Amino acid sequence: MKRTFQCIIYSVCIGKYIPSMGDVARTLLQRTLRKIPTVKLEETLKKWAHLSRRQQQSVNYTQSKWILHENIVSLCEENGLTTRHVSELEMIYCMENPNLGTWRACHLTDADEDATSVELLSFKEQFKSHLAELIRNVSIKIKKHDNGSVWIRIAWGDNFSKPNHFKPTYVVHDLQTPYVFISNLKSKHKPLLYQGLVLATKHGSIKDAHLSGRSLHAVRDLLMGHYQQSFPTNHLRPLQERNPPITHPNIEKEHKEHAEKRLQVAYEAFGEGDIPKLETATYTLETRFRGGGGMDTLSDGEKPFRTVVQFASTSLLESLRHCVSSGIAEAPVSPLLSSITQKGRNYFVITDKADKGHNATTQNSRAKV
Amino acid sequence: MLKPFRKVPVLNTASLLLVENEEQLQTRLADIIVQNEKDVNITVRLARKLPLPEENQDSRPRIDLIVFIVNLRSERSLQSAEQSVKYLDPGFFLGKVCFVVTGARCLSGSSNRLLTARKLAASLHCPLLFAEDQTNEGVITVAVRLLGILKVAAGLVPLTTGLYLNSLSHCMIPSDLEQNLD
Repeated sequence: MKRTFQCIIYSVCIGKYIPSMGDVARTLLQRTLRKIPTVKLEETLKKWAHLSRRQQQSVNYTQSKWILHENIVSLCEENGLTTRHVSELEMIYCMENPNLGTWRACHLTDADEDATSVELLSFKEQFKSHLAELIRNVSIKIKKHDNGSVWIRIAWGDNFSKPNHFKPTYVVHDLQTPYVFISNLKSKHKPLLYQGLVLATKHGSIKDAHLSGRSLHAVRDLLMGHYQQSFPTNHLRPLQERNPPITHPNIEKEHKEHAEKRLQVAYEAFGEGDIPKLETATYTLETRFRGGGGMDTLSDGEKPFRTVVQFASTSLLESLRHCVSSGIAEAPVSPLLSSITQKGRNYFVITDKADKGHNATTQNSRAKV
Repeated sequence: MLKPFRKVPVLNTASLLLVENEEQLQTRLADIIVQNEKDVNITVRLARKLPLPEENQDSRPRIDLIVFIVNLRSERSLQSAEQSVKYLDPGFFLGKVCFVVTGARCLSGSSNRLLTARKLAASLHCPLLFAEDQTNEGVITVAVRLLGILKVAAGLVPLTTGLYLNSLSHCMIPSDLEQNLD
């Protein structure tokens, strides 16, 4: 068990010295403990391995939360743990339960020839050194998850202040894939992080993939296609495979084939079975207003009519699939909706195609990348 | 266009068509009706709306009773029923059509729809039943009532026909309610 005394504070009234954690570390520890549900606390502490076995066994998990947390904080104080150790605990918990708000996906482009040979150690060194060059006072922690992806926790400071550990940025990247997932990044740190990533992964540039969601796994699965996709075939799959069997031979559905076809179209557009859980899809329209109806002020011919349309749901793809399969939305599925799964993004900007003739009746639009 | 007397009736059989936009209550009703009736051979056809697909014309038995299930919680349900009614031959409305309305308990916005549904049923001279679809007992109750009407409409009950039953039980809007509406 390592015992590192980071700071020794003389207690004013008593006159003896006790190793102390420091306010930041203690607050961070308390906040992290509060976030971790009690059922997971024991195994998280074991994984963290900064409390001795005897100390871990001495923790009584049946006590009330407040007492339990105070207990753990005092054990950590005994060991003289610092912010660095506590941030590791936070990171271990976050890696198993990535509920950190919104995750955004980014795409690395223009790979160099040796980009595919980047491996963990060189990535770690490169990233840390590049970021440290760009900004002083950053605290970076890099860990490898069991499933192979690399997790980076960054606490940002600046020239005058220490790193802020209460609002860290988390970055997840699978080496050899061009995707990076980021959460909690402020816009002023964005260029710095992007620069660091681009240099460490040996790519030419990085851009926003226009995909965001609350569940890291959902965003990753959608982008990499890890869900059950359905492709159009010429075979007609037997009805029994998909539909629940009709309970009684006397009951018959009139629109059986129509329902089956709708279901097939819905599966092709959005996938079968469990599909990734997205929350929103946003379309920013910069097209001209083409509706009739005497709205003279709105159909100002030349200028684009700016609108934002947002679809929101607890599980957006599931609800869109249900809309199509139950006939509420018309089949064939509009390419605006099916692009969510086909292109793996949920933010679109729609502009007018430049029409050569005065073709006011046809609605031409294309999604801008 | 669905015509009532195009096909020949079969002995000891009755056939029911349940039309519902949401396709939820109809499956439960179908299960209960078919499993609980042992004496008569009952076939149930389920549809979302009319018109029915042409392909099934030959395999479809003669329909004795058509039930439109309207969910008052959704505007679309009522609209779909109103649209479907146009595809029925007028001969059906002499005792072979019935309306079932669910969700009348919640008053938020449904009082207008209820009135519209009642007016629809009254103008077509059809009975309007209220159903409770949230509980098992409610569904069973409706199933039993529909079974009763079906047997009469199929001619399986002696001394009664669908037309007799209809003239007794069709929906009427009392005149004071109509005046309140205007």
